[in-house]
Amino acid sequence: MNARVEDSAQEIKRLQRCLNDLVSLLALPAIWSSEPSEMVAVLLEALLRTVSLDFAWARLTDPVSETAIEILRPSDSRQLKPIPIEIGEVVSDWLKRREGNSQLPPTIQLGKENLLIFPVPLGVEGEIGMIVVASEREDFPNQIESLLLSVATNQASIGLREAALLRKQKRIAIELEQRVAERTATLAQTNEELRRSEGKWKSVFDNSAVGVVLTSLSGRFIAANSVFQEMVGYAEDELQQFTFFEITHEEDIGLNRSLLGELFEGKSQQFQIEKRFQSKDGDFVWARLNVCMVSVSEQAPRFLMALVEDITQRRQSEEALAKARSELARVANITSLGVLTASIAHEVNQPLSGIITNAGTCMRMLSADPPNLDGARETVRRTIRDGNRAADVISRLRKLYSKKEPSPEPMDLNEATREVTALSLTDIQRSGAVLRHDLADDLPPVIGDRVQLQQVILNLLRNGADAMSTIDDRPRELLVRTERHEESQVRLSVKDSGVGFTPQTAEKIFEAFYTTKTDGMGIGLSISRSIIEAHQGRIWAMPNDGPGATFSFAIPCNPIA
Amino acid sequence: MGCRIVLAMGPSEDRSDVGRQLLSVVVDDDESVRESLPDLLREFGFAARAFSSAKDFLASGCVDETRCLILDIAMPGMSGPELQQELKSRGQRIPIIFITGQRDEAIRARVLEQGAAGFLFKPFSDSDLLAAIKTAMQTA
Repeated sequence: MNARVEDSAQEIKRLQRCLNDLVSLLALPAIWSSEPSEMVAVLLEALLRTVSLDFAWARLTDPVSETAIEILRPSDSRQLKPIPIEIGEVVSDWLKRREGNSQLPPTIQLGKENLLIFPVPLGVEGEIGMIVVASEREDFPNQIESLLLSVATNQASIGLREAALLRKQKRIAIELEQRVAERTATLAQTNEELRRSEGKWKSVFDNSAVGVVLTSLSGRFIAANSVFQEMVGYAEDELQQFTFFEITHEEDIGLNRSLLGELFEGKSQQFQIEKRFQSKDGDFVWARLNVCMVSVSEQAPRFLMALVEDITQRRQSEEALAKARSELARVANITSLGVLTASIAHEVNQPLSGIITNAGTCMRMLSADPPNLDGARETVRRTIRDGNRAADVISRLRKLYSKKEPSPEPMDLNEATREVTALSLTDIQRSGAVLRHDLADDLPPVIGDRVQLQQVILNLLRNGADAMSTIDDRPRELLVRTERHEESQVRLSVKDSGVGFTPQTAEKIFEAFYTTKTDGMGIGLSISRSIIEAHQGRIWAMPNDGPGATFSFAIPCNPIA
Repeated sequence: MGCRIVLAMGPSEDRSDVGRQLLSVVVDDDESVRESLPDLLREFGFAARAFSSAKDFLASGCVDETRCLILDIAMPGMSGPELQQELKSRGQRIPIIFITGQRDEAIRARVLEQGAAGFLFKPFSDSDLLAAIKTAMQTA
């Protein structure tokens, strides 16, 4: 009875301990972390505490990396002889052998000792891992130990599965977060780039020294930077009410349209145009535009973009230059007028002299007794003729020296030449030269400024006459010739038998203020070149085969004729 | 003196007597001068002929009988002063009255020094010319 009481008291004690152990095992999930290896370590230690073991070993399969983690916890009470790594090898070896033989006795040998082992799978089929506990006791494991082991491993399995799931979720979450972060970073970078490029564009747009304009394909303003707004005096919202045609000078619209047409047809990628915008205050602004078509994408609507440069000042200085040049031409005119004064006086003097002689003769004829009426009539007729001749000279002079803007018109170069030679004939003859004409009968008309071209002819004649002024050993001859030149040009040349020029001076001849004469300013030929170039022509000088030189110019003939 | 010249020239009314009229010659490249001056010279009582160049005059064969030469200064080919030298070198002593449209005093001085009888700037009146001729004929 006592023994039985003692037995039962012992039994109760054991049961109490077992219950305590169970509770502590069941409480495990409350203390273990989500990290599987730590979880297993806690489990193994709990097993060592609750069950009398020599060691507890676990192998965990990492569901992600699939590498196995092995953990060994030897009992404190036993000093295991083999080092832990050997235990792992022996256990692993046993487990491997059991795969081929499920009836393998659960014994392993460690050194000289034989241990009974008890493998418990983690997870339903051991997919999470394996726990192996070992004891040298022959009754290992008893029923309570089996129960505790299975409860513990079951707990661990659930915990580990949850942990694995959690880790997987966590990993996915981390991956997702990483991806989101990466994407966010990319987006941020893209945004930054966009912002920067937009900033750049914006800065180009706003701070550009030139006007920048964006319009629809029909020409309606969409955007315009401040430079352009200032150029035309309209604010952006005002501009948006217009197409650019509406503020373009009407003379420039035609060219603008045809260039746009080529752009739309794909004949050109871009074009340049110099045109006038009418600003808000009504003034015209000269602008040079670079226009191209821009599109953001294939589907997106396309725009016209124009870079607009204000060239009003350049245009004005060009006009001023042209004016200065024509003013200079007029100065040269006046200069040669000065030189020609004597011969002009002679031109007027000739008919005047005739008038006075004829009138005097007439008076004498009428005073005779009887009066010579037929003779008087003849002298009066001559007086009238000479009077007209003087009037002609005056009107020619007026034409030649009146200050006029250049006015290109279809004209007969032969006729213009004859007018000039008629005026300068005396001057030429006075220098002892003979002037001969060789004017082509079939000369097509040219487009040009009559007075300016006559100025050139006059300069060439004077130049030729001057070149012969020191020639005494041969005839002084000037030949003025007109003829067709190449396909569509007309050439006038003045050939002299003067001193000629050397190849060294050939280049300088047409430069301003180059002269070999003591009384010349050296601007005649330079002015002549400006005039001829303004007529899209060319002027040049060639030494003759014989003595002297030939100066020629060629200008296009009237394309309409 | 004036009387003597008129007598030498012969009465202007008596034009039929060509042999008695003195020959005056105009050399000028200006056609209107060649037209008008001879008429005036005839009114003065001369016989008159006109040539457009020195060369033509020299070739005309009437150099010897020319009693008065009205000569232009500037002409193509041989100029007036050059003709003056040519005649001088031939020993001809025809009184020469130069006429010119150019107010060139240097030329005037030169030709007068070379023995020109007169020098008239155009335009000149009929009486200017007559006075110059009278002076020239007297000198001759």
